[in-house]
Amino acid sequence: MRKLKLSMGLLAIVFATLTVVSCKDSKKEHDNEDGHHSEMSSEGNQMEMNNESEEHHHAEGNDEHAHDKDASMKTREITASSKKNAATSAIIDGYLQIKNGLVADNKDNAAKGGTALLAAFSNFDMTKLDEAQHKEYMEIVESAKEQAEHIAKSPIDHQREHFEGLSADISDLITLLGTDKTLYQDYCPMKKVSWLSETKEIKNPFYGSKMLTCGSVKKQIN
Amino acid sequence: MKIVKVIVIVLLVAFVGIQFIPTVSNRSEYVPKTDFMLVNTVPKKISEKLQVSCYDCHSNNTAYPWYNKVQPVAWFLEDHIVKGKSELNFSEWADYSDRRKKSKLKSIISQIEDDNMPLSSYTLIHKNASFSEEEKKEVVTWLTELKDNL
Repeated sequence: MRKLKLSMGLLAIVFATLTVVSCKDSKKEHDNEDGHHSEMSSEGNQMEMNNESEEHHHAEGNDEHAHDKDASMKTREITASSKKNAATSAIIDGYLQIKNGLVADNKDNAAKGGTALLAAFSNFDMTKLDEAQHKEYMEIVESAKEQAEHIAKSPIDHQREHFEGLSADISDLITLLGTDKTLYQDYCPMKKVSWLSETKEIKNPFYGSKMLTCGSVKKQIN
Repeated sequence: MKIVKVIVIVLLVAFVGIQFIPTVSNRSEYVPKTDFMLVNTVPKKISEKLQVSCYDCHSNNTAYPWYNKVQPVAWFLEDHIVKGKSELNFSEWADYSDRRKKSKLKSIISQIEDDNMPLSSYTLIHKNASFSEEEKKEVVTWLTELKDNL
């Protein structure tokens, strides 16, 4: 009799738990995708810009990466550096924190930079942007946020991969909005991508200590 | 001995009980016009490979195995699919901006190249989902071309 009572009690508990769990779990499905449908635009003129920068780059006679023709897809010249804009500072700080984490082979610091960058995006005041700027800003940030989220939670190889795309996004953001910081756009001939640094001295974030001084300054901003 | 019996009964009841917990099925009646295969001209071989290897978790339409009817397998799969779709959804390809398409393609390529995708837990059961070296090369070459032309 005692045994029966015990079993019944346990059964009751199990069913109660299941009922609760089941209520919580059903309807879990939600639409993952962000509900906006921004059409792609303005990529065309960016391409032209890139090609220009390639030529310019070769004209400088920098022979160590003379064969990087396809690099024009990945490197972006920053053109609007004359715009002094302090509003982008927090975003750039977050980016540089990631960069410095990767330079030091420090995954945790890079991840913190990712979190800081995400915070900077949420705090950014978009009301000062005009309509065209706003549209492009949203497109850039949507991509940059995704990169930052991955950097905040991934092993270092994966962080570096996303840092490549993030560098392009942040460069485009500076082209769009400007900055009052002094920055250097550096180029990594092995990865064929650019990154931004606050120091003139080359510290390559893509390989860490393995290839720390590999690369060249392409352009100074401010 | 008595306690073992009780535990077995409880587990059994729990197992039967969880079968009644509903999961949301990732099935779609039609292929949306934003689908990767519809907005790009994809060679048959590559489209088949992507369908078999990627679409179960990265589209709005999963070809479920029979054991998806059994819990807790269904939860496990549901969780994978929700996560997979949030990272990449081929069904909504046209809704991504060019910038994001490029970064998605870059990630797809590196995931395939490094054998991180498809997941080994997936290819364990779906033998035909894994990439041979040759298939890998073919798909990666095509995807790289797509990315560079964006």
